[in-house]
Amino acid sequence: MKHTPVSKLLVLDNDPLQASPIKNFCDENHLVPLKVREGSVMSVLRTNIDLGGILYSEDYGHSPKETALIALDIHAARPELPIIIRREHQATLVGLPDDSQHIYCAAYVASDMGALRKVINDYIFCLMYPNALLRGIAEITQSVLIGQFKGLNVTMDTPYIVHDRMIFGELFSLIQLESSWCRGYMMLQSEENPLLEMIGCEGPRNPGATFRQVNDLLSEITNLIWGSFKNRYIGDEKTVASGRVQIPLIVNHKHKYISFGTENPQLCFRFTLTDERTGRASILYERFIFNLNWSPEDFKEFAPDTADLVDSGELELF
Amino acid sequence: MAQILIVDDSSTVREEVSTCLKNGGLTVVTAVDGKDGLVKLKADPGIKLVVCDVNMPNMDGLTMVEKIRGELGNKTVNLIMLTTESSPNMKERGKAAGVRGWIVKPFKGAAVLETFKKLVA
Repeated sequence: MKHTPVSKLLVLDNDPLQASPIKNFCDENHLVPLKVREGSVMSVLRTNIDLGGILYSEDYGHSPKETALIALDIHAARPELPIIIRREHQATLVGLPDDSQHIYCAAYVASDMGALRKVINDYIFCLMYPNALLRGIAEITQSVLIGQFKGLNVTMDTPYIVHDRMIFGELFSLIQLESSWCRGYMMLQSEENPLLEMIGCEGPRNPGATFRQVNDLLSEITNLIWGSFKNRYIGDEKTVASGRVQIPLIVNHKHKYISFGTENPQLCFRFTLTDERTGRASILYERFIFNLNWSPEDFKEFAPDTADLVDSGELELF
Repeated sequence: MAQILIVDDSSTVREEVSTCLKNGGLTVVTAVDGKDGLVKLKADPGIKLVVCDVNMPNMDGLTMVEKIRGELGNKTVNLIMLTTESSPNMKERGKAAGVRGWIVKPFKGAAVLETFKKLVA
């Protein structure tokens, strides 16, 4: 399993000459291009909730005005997604219709993909995540899921960077992460029915499982991951000073939208739980949002003291 | 009269631990947080062992065990923490409050059942 994060880009560029260079660029820069058929942009935006940004082109519409109108619609639907526009002659926003300039974060030209790489690094891969952290989160979460869903197969996609603020499924949990090197939240998102079916699969232990049991299970999974994260990466340090900054979170139920009050991208892990006997599957998204502090240069991992090592679940008598 | 009091805000954990201990022949009562735990312990003099989470709403587990030894003056009941916390500072605070043992979640019944039986004997 690779732990270097990737990011999904929606590619809205109809020029056939650009298809190959864009694909090659994406392959070389940990990007996953999603090509969209003309006319289905909005439906793709509605169904993809884990995008990092959009590669757009100056001639995507049949006229500059239409290009601008489509971009405005996209921006209205998903203002959090950075839109990078390919232009024919200049890598600036100068000369684009005035009313649409503000929705693009940057421009590039096909003859200078190095400049596009810088834009991608500035807007998508702008937060550096230590490999030890990515590997550790994957290990911790898989271990917790395997423990909670005995007999089920747990797989994980390569972690990825998202700008989307859309909420997946019907339920999510949030827990604060606080240390000298990070301050933010961990969020787990899932769908209710597949999880209910998974609980039901465990047989008589959960006859007539209800959403409350699903809630409680997600809460306990969150707690176990949080505890392991804390033990491994935060330790005993006194991290919470009085008077530290807090910012409100906004949840819009109607639009299934959550904002942590920052433009920062989020680190996302996607786990699939599969019951091989029934073929049923459940998806769990795990997102890390370091909206209040991110100082990876101070990141540290605490190795357990092997002299005092006690396995989880074992009783350590004093 | 129960032998063991399980205190955890997670119904998943309460259910899992209770089922395991009951299957092992032990009698169990549960509480949803530290405040509830104190009430249940006061109400049942038969309780010989308290298995308690640390991070809970209303009253955390370490505060609860400190109150058991202090305010309730109960010096005999065995106290074991079952928690995701494993930091030395937390354990030291537990030891100072009279905690007898520490288990880092997840709970593995088979690993602790015999010891629990001895503690309630």
